Amino acid sequence: MDTLNLLMDGFASALTPINLLFAFAGVVLGTAVGVLPGIGPAMAVALLLPVTFGMETSSALIMFAGIYYGGMYGGSTTSILLNTPGESATVITAIEGHKMAKAGRASQALATAAIGSFVAGTIGTALLVTVTPIVVKFAVSLGAPSYFAIMVLSLVTVTAVLGSSKIRGFASLGLGLAIGLIGMDPVSGQKRLTFGFAPLVDGIDIVVVAVAVFAIGEALWIAAHLRLTPTRTIPVGTPWMGKEDWKRSWKPWLRGTAFGFPFGALPAGGAEVPTFLSYVTEKKLSKHPEEFGHGAIEGVAGPEAANNASAAGTLTPMLALGLPTNATAAVMLAFLTMKGIQPGPFLFENEPDLVWALIASLFIGNTLLLLINLPLAPLWARLLKIPRPYLYAGILFFATLGAFSVNMQVADLWILLLIGLLGFALRRFGLPVLPLILGVIIGPMAEEQLRKTFQLSAGSVSGIWSEPLAVGIYILIAILLILPMLISFIRRSRGIQSDLVETVLGEEHEPAKHKAELTGEKEQRVGKDES
Amino acid sequence: MTIVVGYIPSEEGEAALATAIDEAQRRNARLVVVNSSKGDQLVDDRLIDAKQYHELEARLTQSGVDFWIERKSQGIDAADQILQVAEAQRAQLIVIGLRKRTAMGKFLMGSVAQRVLLQAGCPVLSLKASNDW
Amino acid sequence: MSEVSTAKKKRVELLFAAFLLLIGIIVFVDASQLHSTYSQADAIGPKAVPYIVSGILVLSAIALGITVVRGNLAAGEEGEDVDLSQPSDWKVVLPLLGFFVLNLLLINWAGWVISGTILFFGTAISLGSRRWVLTLVISLVLALGSFYGFYLGLGIKLPAGILSGVL
Repeated sequence: MDTLNLLMDGFASALTPINLLFAFAGVVLGTAVGVLPGIGPAMAVALLLPVTFGMETSSALIMFAGIYYGGMYGGSTTSILLNTPGESATVITAIEGHKMAKAGRASQALATAAIGSFVAGTIGTALLVTVTPIVVKFAVSLGAPSYFAIMVLSLVTVTAVLGSSKIRGFASLGLGLAIGLIGMDPVSGQKRLTFGFAPLVDGIDIVVVAVAVFAIGEALWIAAHLRLTPTRTIPVGTPWMGKEDWKRSWKPWLRGTAFGFPFGALPAGGAEVPTFLSYVTEKKLSKHPEEFGHGAIEGVAGPEAANNASAAGTLTPMLALGLPTNATAAVMLAFLTMKGIQPGPFLFENEPDLVWALIASLFIGNTLLLLINLPLAPLWARLLKIPRPYLYAGILFFATLGAFSVNMQVADLWILLLIGLLGFALRRFGLPVLPLILGVIIGPMAEEQLRKTFQLSAGSVSGIWSEPLAVGIYILIAILLILPMLISFIRRSRGIQSDLVETVLGEEHEPAKHKAELTGEKEQRVGKDES
Repeated sequence: MTIVVGYIPSEEGEAALATAIDEAQRRNARLVVVNSSKGDQLVDDRLIDAKQYHELEARLTQSGVDFWIERKSQGIDAADQILQVAEAQRAQLIVIGLRKRTAMGKFLMGSVAQRVLLQAGCPVLSLKASNDW
Repeated sequence: MSEVSTAKKKRVELLFAAFLLLIGIIVFVDASQLHSTYSQADAIGPKAVPYIVSGILVLSAIALGITVVRGNLAAGEEGEDVDLSQPSDWKVVLPLLGFFVLNLLLINWAGWVISGTILFFGTAISLGSRRWVLTLVISLVLALGSFYGFYLGLGIKLPAGILSGVL
């Protein structure tokens, strides 16, 4: 019952008026950026990093948690009303949700998404409360070799498993690790990759990197390809659901949660796979399979729940091991590093107040989201009418302001520009952004663990596999890297499409197919407009 | 003989369209309906969608005037668009709707109507929404 | 897609692969110039990880080069506000970069209020805003507001520059 007491303390701290205010601000801001085109929760948190420098750590973290959950809520709202999934995790919501909206059931789609998100978020956070301390207990006993192995696992999986091109993923990771190397080596005191340039000796501020990659790079990329054809939203009233909708939604919510949390908690999980699995399952179990593809409410309820539960799951490795598996979690981790708090298994021991206030605020934020957003959905749709020049000029403005205010150095602005251009190049050449940012954050931590490992083994290479868990993880990494190749090889040689292969490989093939469907539909719509 | 009307789905737009149709019937003129968006917003309800386009088409067909609908989803702003079309079609009359705006609002936001009035090379008929009369 | 534009795309992407290779080589050269003194406390020294990173960069650069030559071209990142059917519009991006650099040069001399106003105004106009007055008003409000907001709210004093007596 120790956990429960700690959680109650967390609630006590999260429910103070000031923290409640920050939770509220985070939720509203998160929903807003989720709705706004071109801004995501990761960018919002990155832009806020400099502002939060002087703030109470727990208050800032509570606000970020609100942005994190709110962003997903806003994302599903636009997917339903506009059919423009901002991220891969809401692709499925867009498929069924937008069809529902077109059929005049936008209110029900929004309602099942919102309530499903609340249910999944709450259950997911409860699971987070139960699972994380166990992981921590286990992780605290781990030595440097296992810890290094876990970091390698998370880097490899984010690089090679998520994302479409492994080569481009590793290229991005390499760039991130290289940026992480810049500065003075903490062990030997030698300067690496500073080229005699004084501002680089302390390393590149993680805030600057995050702002550059997520704000400058993204804004430049969008500016270069601004969509000039306006779309129209489907008008909505207040979300509500009838009895029949409730009946058809509650099971998909729970099943979606069951898919979402474990996948989120795994270092390689992500939200894409569980949303897809949930969709397929609902389609199989549904009494109205013929409605799927034409706006089945189960197809919104399940994937939305899976998406939110996976978001809660993602916080497990982040809090317990210091390993973020999505962009927003990565920036939140950057925030902790900036505040001088060492992420990792000892976070629970060293900063229990902080961690439990954060977890409590997740429950609060979830409830706030439901209370605020059910009546406000029509209002959010209006945000889409902000003229884009102001939106993207604003992003550049606040990115510059934020990066500058960290150290008041013009040199930081040059670095911001260079890494921002790099961020543009990443998007231009199809390199995923997440491996880079993880490389910057985890790279130095991994190096520290690696050197500790060698210290323990007195310089012998065998130190790397001196712990059984480490060995297990390296085998897992090998499997993760080789299995997809093997399967595609078998598949090609036999030319079969058995169900098993389909489900295992689903993550790689199905979303792509759906994306194609979506773009196809978009083109159709544009075509219609021009007629 | 050609009449150009700036149309957006709003009360002012409807008032302008109704008058433009009357005017076209009376003068036996060709009617060019201009609906455009600068494309600077992700969502722009001033631009008509396929359904509204067909409704508009049906309504104009029913009125019996010779018409042409000019729907531009991207590029220049509404005033330039109307002026450009009016010039290209050698329009004898431009019909536009007026929105109620304070002096400050007009200073900040600029006014499509004002620019059309000032820059047009032909008479401009401007209307407020019918319930403002 | 015509063959010419595919060939051009290939060249641009190979250029990017070459850039990766260059970074990899720089990391390698930089690491090789570090001197590692063997000690029990730091067996692998400061060089080992840079060598690994350099290896990742060089290998992925070569692999990227090969896949590009084989015809596996990159798809730009999609987004809800991104239209990939058009090539990159440099007429928008270059002025943005210009205003960014202008701000960076002006910020300490002219102060944030002036340089920030120019930054927002310039970028908004570059992005296609045509309501000059409104844009200018928003720019001023944002720059002044952030200056005082940071000062009063966060205790961060942004450079006041030539307006230092006025603000």
